[in-house]
Amino acid sequence: MMTGSGFDIDLDEVTLAGARRGDLRACEKIFRKFNTPAYTVAVRICKCHELAQDVTQEAFISTFKRMHQFRGDAPFWGWLRRIIVNHAISALRKLPRHDAVELDDHMAYVNSEEHQMGLAMDLGQALDQLGHEDRAVVWLHDVEGYKHREIAQLFDKTESFSKTRLNRARARLRTLIADSEKESFYETSVNATA
Amino acid sequence: MNIPDQWYHATEDPLGLRQLEQIEPQYDGWKDIQSTLQNHQESQRRRRYTGGWLALAASLMLAIGLTVSQQPTSTQLPNAATSVPGLASVSGEDHVSALIGLSQNMEEQVKNLRQESGSMPAESAVYVAELEDLIAQVDSELSLQPDSINLWGQRVNLLLDLAQIYQQQWEIDYGRMASL
Repeated sequence: MMTGSGFDIDLDEVTLAGARRGDLRACEKIFRKFNTPAYTVAVRICKCHELAQDVTQEAFISTFKRMHQFRGDAPFWGWLRRIIVNHAISALRKLPRHDAVELDDHMAYVNSEEHQMGLAMDLGQALDQLGHEDRAVVWLHDVEGYKHREIAQLFDKTESFSKTRLNRARARLRTLIADSEKESFYETSVNATA
Repeated sequence: MNIPDQWYHATEDPLGLRQLEQIEPQYDGWKDIQSTLQNHQESQRRRRYTGGWLALAASLMLAIGLTVSQQPTSTQLPNAATSVPGLASVSGEDHVSALIGLSQNMEEQVKNLRQESGSMPAESAVYVAELEDLIAQVDSELSLQPDSINLWGQRVNLLLDLAQIYQQQWEIDYGRMASL
């Protein structure tokens, strides 16, 4: 199983030229190659699978319509990833108030089967507990390798915004995992003594 | 100095997020994408065709307009030799200038309509974005062929479509306000 987002896939020139001409078979080949990495990034940023599905589809459509703008001076995957990320961030901006969503997310975990059973939260679940911007920033920086300057541009903010969010997100992830492990250990001990 | 890989990953990804598995999409969206792209290609073909006709129509109207304005008045003696050069003097440059003027006027109108119209339904917003994309595409082609009558015709046509959407939205908004 591939890890990370797995975006850095090479694409042959023939497929690229075909897609530029509007050949739908070439477009489908590109879609098949990049659908999973694109969806992974979209889910990691948006969290919601349905929203990520819409984001991925819209981004692919936008990519194929703009193929003539791809100059070929950098790898295709980087260009495509930028479009996916841009679509995901703009989808985040359209979401309702962030704090309400974060509270819902937290309650969803508290009421979840894993939590009830005392299972420790894994990194993926912990990531889902973060607010939209924190989650996007930590994913883009730590997994996709974006620089603070690039993240700042994406969010139309300053570099210090990106740095602050990254530190906050990492700290929160550590706390969530540590708390969950402690809780899980305590519940296991209680069950064992009972 | 070489930085050990382990140290590099610990700094760049201290929590090991890169170890998370990829997420497989549950739904294969290709059919939807394919159908959207087919519609897009079809509308582009239609637009190119319509744009060509519009440019031709505009050129003809311009030619007729210029010819009529250069026709001798009733007090002048009708002379075939004076009217024919009038028609011949209508150059491609004149056609392009007229279309550029029309395009600038339309752009101003679209700008005003955009300011006046309120929020629009998602479907119209998508169509507006698509038209704006196409205008950008025509603009980039125009940067290579600035004297193309066909391209200027397409641009005017796209701006007309855009103006129509804003106009309809404005009418809906106005109707809503009037009913209050």
